[in-house]
Amino acid sequence: MYDKTVRRRRAVLALLVVLSLILLTAYFGEAPGGGLHSVQRGFLAVVSPVQDGANKALKPVRDMFGWFGDTLHAKRQRNQLRKQLNEARAQLIATRVDQRSYHELLTMYHLDSRLSVSDYRPVTATVVAKSPNLWYSTVNIDKGRSAGVRVNDPVINGEGVVGKVTQAASDGAQVSLITDSTVGVTAMIDATGATGIVQPKVGDPNDLLLQYLPASTTVNPGDYVVTAGSISSQGDSLFPRGLPIGQVTSVDEQSPYKSVNVHPLVDLHNLDVVQVLTGAQQNLPGRLGRTLASLPAAGEGTQPSGPLNDQLASTGAGG
Amino acid sequence: MSDFSGALVVRMTVLAVVVVFFQIGVISEVPVLGVSADISPLVVAFIGLLCGSVLGAIAGFAVGLLVDLTLLQTLGVTSLTFTIIGYWAGRLREARDPQALLTPLLVGAAAAAVATVGYSLIEFLLGVDAPVSFELLRQIVLGIVVDTVIALPLWALVRRMLEPSLPEDPRRRRRRAYTTGGLSPLSRA
Repeated sequence: MYDKTVRRRRAVLALLVVLSLILLTAYFGEAPGGGLHSVQRGFLAVVSPVQDGANKALKPVRDMFGWFGDTLHAKRQRNQLRKQLNEARAQLIATRVDQRSYHELLTMYHLDSRLSVSDYRPVTATVVAKSPNLWYSTVNIDKGRSAGVRVNDPVINGEGVVGKVTQAASDGAQVSLITDSTVGVTAMIDATGATGIVQPKVGDPNDLLLQYLPASTTVNPGDYVVTAGSISSQGDSLFPRGLPIGQVTSVDEQSPYKSVNVHPLVDLHNLDVVQVLTGAQQNLPGRLGRTLASLPAAGEGTQPSGPLNDQLASTGAGG
Repeated sequence: MSDFSGALVVRMTVLAVVVVFFQIGVISEVPVLGVSADISPLVVAFIGLLCGSVLGAIAGFAVGLLVDLTLLQTLGVTSLTFTIIGYWAGRLREARDPQALLTPLLVGAAAAAVATVGYSLIEFLLGVDAPVSFELLRQIVLGIVVDTVIALPLWALVRRMLEPSLPEDPRRRRRRAYTTGGLSPLSRA
């Protein structure tokens, strides 16, 4: 009787471990469009309304925790100051970007209006779930393919860049935050216009690194880092130019290309409402086509150069 | 397994679903000391501690699978970790049957540590680009501390929910008999 119990217990454990390993191997080995991924997306589509409902129902509980936090840390006062700071920061960045754009080809060809946020058909979504582990910086939102959300769509909020869509179901989607190792954004120092790529900092999941800056670039702690409005590879997300990403905390002078530590401006631990720019992928060819059409003909002796040429080249259409 | 009633299975299922959604909807949104608590491995360990290794392992697999499905994570990683946690806690009960007041606290701390370290190890083995730094270690340790702090009230809740459907344990009956005088040598004297 005892042997039978022991055998049964060990058999159950072995069965469950083997089942887990089979699931893990199959899932890890298959393409994102594979069967297990589809089952997962289907499950998300089913539970997304439940999650949404639970999220709304549990909001009072979250608020209650928040109330304790407010009482202990004078959160209200801090939020007011942070709001004022965000407004001032947004004004400062907007002014600097406008001043700079005035002297660049971008302003000359009115690209700023063509790449503005309103052109990207923003869809407002609520964050309904957040990954609790340290290895995946992702959140789930309540808008999916039925609202026009697609993989690689940029995600922002009032404070700046949040991340990009990495999986989309019919009524929900997964957003990889800017601190996730899979996300990279082409960005520039707003004071100088020097361009690089912002990626998560290895060793600190809450910090960012602006890499591949020219060695001659002058960067000071406190400078703001904003989106450059271009993409560096096919799978990237196109963010509107001038969106705040973070603030420079320190500069690494040792490497041949200058790299800069950046602290994100968006409070990624307290995301509630975000905007998905659903028009970024679909409108990119058309937007570039209009841009090219507005350029002077090559025979007239005027060639696009500098940042505009870089931008067109980096999007694969500028040639 | 036939010792376990349908009512217990229903209670465990409800507990698993509520825990996963509460974790995602509330606990993950409330950072304490800069980290979020993770109650799911604790609940799995407590189920094992109350129901034994077989049900502990099954509950661990089911809760892990639900977490992986809901959060679009790699299927099988959390299931594997939680299966081991549930089985280990169940074996602890079957082999030692610890009665100390602080047992759930220690089991909760161990479950949180195994969940975090086990998950990290599997991610390393799968080749995920995982940063290792003092900041990360600090977050892991803080996460375990926060989980340990909430272990005792969570244990009380899980036990309150499952105990009415648990089968009668001979060892428990014997202990109760001693404390009430039924089999005590003093009562016979």
